[in-house]
Amino acid sequence: MLSSSANGIYWMARYIERASFMCRLLHIQSEALVDRPIAEIEFGWRRIYRAIDRSPLGGIRGTDPEDDYTLVDAYLLTDELTFVRQNPEAILSCLERGRENARQIRNCISEQMWTALNTEFLRIRDIKLTDIWLTSPGSFYAEVLAGIDRFTGVATATMYRDEGWHFFRVGQFIERVQFSCSLLLTQNTLEVQYGDLSDASWRSLLRIFHASGAYDSTHSIEIQPELVLNLLVTDRRIPESLLRSVDRITQELSSLGDGPNMAMSGALRRRAGRLGALLRYDWPDCDDRDEVLRQVLAHSRQLHTLLSETYFEYAIQGLPRSDVR
Amino acid sequence: MGTRLIDLSCGWCGLRTSRIGILLIGFFTFPHGALLDDRQIDRSAKLDFKNYEIDSSFYDEMFEVDGSPRTHCVELHSTLTDLTQLELSTMQERVTRSFYNEGITFIVYGDEAAGERIIPIDCVPRILANAEWRHIEAGLDQRLRGLNMFLEDIYNEARIINDGVIPVDVIRGCPQYRIEMRGLSAPYSAWVAVCGTDLVRTNDGFRVLEDNLRVPSGVSYMIATRKAVKANLRNAYRKSQVLDVEHYGKLLLRTLREIAPPGVSDPTIALLTPGVYNSAFYEHMFLASELDAELVEGIDLIVNDGYVYMRTTSGMRRVDVIYRRVDDDFIDPLIFRPDSYLGVPGLLHAYRLGNVTLANAPGTGVADDKSVYAYVPDIIRYYLCEEPILANVQTNLCRQPEGLEYTLDNLENLVVKQVGGSGGYGMLIGPHSTSEEREEFARQIRADPANYISQPVLDLSRAPCLIDNEFEPRHVDLRPFILRGRETRIVPGGLCRIALPRGSLVVNSSQGGGAKDIWVLPT
Repeated sequence: MLSSSANGIYWMARYIERASFMCRLLHIQSEALVDRPIAEIEFGWRRIYRAIDRSPLGGIRGTDPEDDYTLVDAYLLTDELTFVRQNPEAILSCLERGRENARQIRNCISEQMWTALNTEFLRIRDIKLTDIWLTSPGSFYAEVLAGIDRFTGVATATMYRDEGWHFFRVGQFIERVQFSCSLLLTQNTLEVQYGDLSDASWRSLLRIFHASGAYDSTHSIEIQPELVLNLLVTDRRIPESLLRSVDRITQELSSLGDGPNMAMSGALRRRAGRLGALLRYDWPDCDDRDEVLRQVLAHSRQLHTLLSETYFEYAIQGLPRSDVR
Repeated sequence: MGTRLIDLSCGWCGLRTSRIGILLIGFFTFPHGALLDDRQIDRSAKLDFKNYEIDSSFYDEMFEVDGSPRTHCVELHSTLTDLTQLELSTMQERVTRSFYNEGITFIVYGDEAAGERIIPIDCVPRILANAEWRHIEAGLDQRLRGLNMFLEDIYNEARIINDGVIPVDVIRGCPQYRIEMRGLSAPYSAWVAVCGTDLVRTNDGFRVLEDNLRVPSGVSYMIATRKAVKANLRNAYRKSQVLDVEHYGKLLLRTLREIAPPGVSDPTIALLTPGVYNSAFYEHMFLASELDAELVEGIDLIVNDGYVYMRTTSGMRRVDVIYRRVDDDFIDPLIFRPDSYLGVPGLLHAYRLGNVTLANAPGTGVADDKSVYAYVPDIIRYYLCEEPILANVQTNLCRQPEGLEYTLDNLENLVVKQVGGSGGYGMLIGPHSTSEEREEFARQIRADPANYISQPVLDLSRAPCLIDNEFEPRHVDLRPFILRGRETRIVPGGLCRIALPRGSLVVNSSQGGGAKDIWVLPT
């Protein structure tokens, strides 16, 4: 497969996964705006911005006793995270970049994938926050999420299982690992800053990972942060858990060829193995869980670099002889 | 905005009607039929052709002068008059929507801010009787054979110049003449492997308006239009036994394989695109998919030791045939424009060594130069010893004193074109021009006469189009696509371009033109 096409598929998957995460965060945040205490709303904003390593334009006002101010904040922040194209992490920006990548590699994905992504992007492209704010921003995010889920479902159902498929999956899971890791680190950091976080903040974390029901059935409806973290990191039955995502990366990499440089390819696979080992063997016994998460994040970023150097932008070392096809 | 979409009862895309209307308004302004004001629609009424204007000055593609449908159009005419207004407008909307959802778009240079556009597609096909098509097909085959022989000759022995058929300055003075190609040959002399020839019909029959021999585009829109229209006119399509065009990709693949470098039995084919911001990127992607070839940009290719390689996930892989959709000027910065990032350094060297085939070959633009166009009938006679089957449009060369004088004296009645122009840019349509525009053009022509030709304003044929929920005549042309490898291959049909504004003669999509399907019948 052409390296640039593989790269395009990989980034398409990453951007769509990023849009999905942002959508889930904002969906939950938009629900919190309806009836949660201001401190919890503020926590939600801080969690989002910290997870994406970004500061809001104009900052967050903080726990202003007057609701009106919070609502003004919420309006601007929601807009910035949803529709403002200058923000590369905004949902619209992510979908636009995902679509742009898809447009360039349309011949490598199924027609249905392109149509699903294109229609979803075009559906929301001209919507403005004012169109959804007074009615139900929550419904808007639910609809966008459904659109993204439709795209990934269509991909699973229709995409040819060639190399492109494996790059698609690797992109999806690397993004998932990086975003999840950032979010879990943020949750821990804010817990230190705020003192004990409310149950609601942990419950919302579970919902972001689609793991609320799993937690209740595995443990109980009573929230224990330690158990929440363990579940989200190591329970392979949860589709979005860190360990499951890392295992899927390893699995997808094993389906890819070695690429032109065996040494680089070996380094890539070892790095993926190291990631799995961190979560399997270091996590359960460690005292400093943040440190493990930081390592996971660092390794996953290196994994991206190695993947790129193995398949997409490798140095050309000795072209084949001209009589070799 | 009072305009909104008709109420669609079928709910084909799961969106509320008002939402569709908002989206469509935001995305593009569709000049005919897609957006309708409820007040204009009697949903159950059937559309007829009672108000359809037939003007004997123009050949009508569906109707005889007395208003009766032409024999080969009776079936379609009957189908159209059986449909209600609602059915027709819904069909039009579906056709448009399919282009929109599938992202079948193009970008207009100089108007990038407007983003991607779709070509307005008219859902009423234009029909050609089989005998008409056979005539066209024979003419196109003849023309392309002649032009390929011409290219082989002028880059080698130049007999046609030495024999005085074409003045040397017409050839050597043409910017598209590439001296770097001298002494080279193409497999089967197929310098032009892919051609898109623009034809127009007047009351006197078909004429060739121009040959597009460099990187002709539009074939993807032909196929997309066919798919969309036949899905909506299923019964008429089946009853008419319309000849297929959707196998174009297979014919293109066969052609490209034939012209692979000698000794390469299973060539690796790549399609070279300038990239996603090119106006025809959708087409490049579509064709790469049809060919099952890699869609590459210059940055994906490298030339080493006289061979071309592409960067793949498993290493560098040799490329044998490049269907290039990049203009000559940009394909090799070592030979042509040094500032080009779209091409591949050393590509022409590999081509000269015969290690890679470029389709079309560099330098073919000399044969579709508008000055050379005037000589194509002579070219056919010279190489093939045959009379041209398809006539040219009478052309006055301003490089010749008598042509210059005639042009300047009759500007208000002529169409004036730059010899290297395309896309409907840089031309003057005399009868539609102001005196200031004519004066400005006259000044430009006097300053550089060799850069201009003039032609009479043609009475382009008209075909019925669904405009604002009525059938109205619009001027049309026809661009069939011709392939040439070991033999000539033409799918029966082409892209029918429409000048959408009433009375307009400009069919270019970049100038607001639309398109419709062409149905060639088996008998």
